[in-house]
Amino acid sequence: MKRLNALALASLALVTLPFAAAHAQGDPALGRQLAYTCTGCHGIAGYKNAYPQYHVPRIAGQNYDYLLAALIAYQKGERTHPTMQAQAASFSETDLQNLAAFIASAGKVTP
Amino acid sequence: MKGHAMTLRLLIALTLGSVAFGAHANGSIDAGKQKSQTCQACHGADGNGIGITMYPILAGQHADYLRKALGDYKSGARVNPIMAGFAGALSEQDIADLAAYFSSQQGPLVELNADPAK
Repeated sequence: MKRLNALALASLALVTLPFAAAHAQGDPALGRQLAYTCTGCHGIAGYKNAYPQYHVPRIAGQNYDYLLAALIAYQKGERTHPTMQAQAASFSETDLQNLAAFIASAGKVTP
Repeated sequence: MKGHAMTLRLLIALTLGSVAFGAHANGSIDAGKQKSQTCQACHGADGNGIGITMYPILAGQHADYLRKALGDYKSGARVNPIMAGFAGALSEQDIADLAAYFSSQQGPLVELNADPAK
């Protein structure tokens, strides 16, 4: 039984190792220092994008991998939004990882 | 005056445009729940996901943002092979209903606060 557990753990580690390496997690504390600008739109309840008009998305508490993918897509111009493309372009990939880590960690605590 | 006629036409067009938009502004939470079966495979029954973090949490997201996202996937303005297939099959009313349903669910999403930790 113990041996089985060890085997299970070892195989889990092997499975998760390459995944962790591919999606390096950012540092939320460093990300917080970069996130002030984001709050100008994403921190204001009811804030709306203009032309077309819609609420800017709630992003705090969103999944890390999705946030990072969105930021990278804006940076590369694969996802278009003038403000977001300009913002994302000003950061390094490490910055984006740190930002995504902070934003993902900043959700509300659900019961 | 020609200028006035133009202004009047513009105003009429704008008014008609807003009315048309308004017709699709209200989605039905119940109808959206009925239509959300396909979405649930990746986004979870209540929009809180299934533990795959490359997919976004939808629960508690703004309905008009969700409509914008689905509309952009449908038009191709936002490129994603998975979402293009699903969104392409949705009507304006489907999109409004789905957005109403997922935005009405409870989740961790909230406005961003970057003040130093207390």
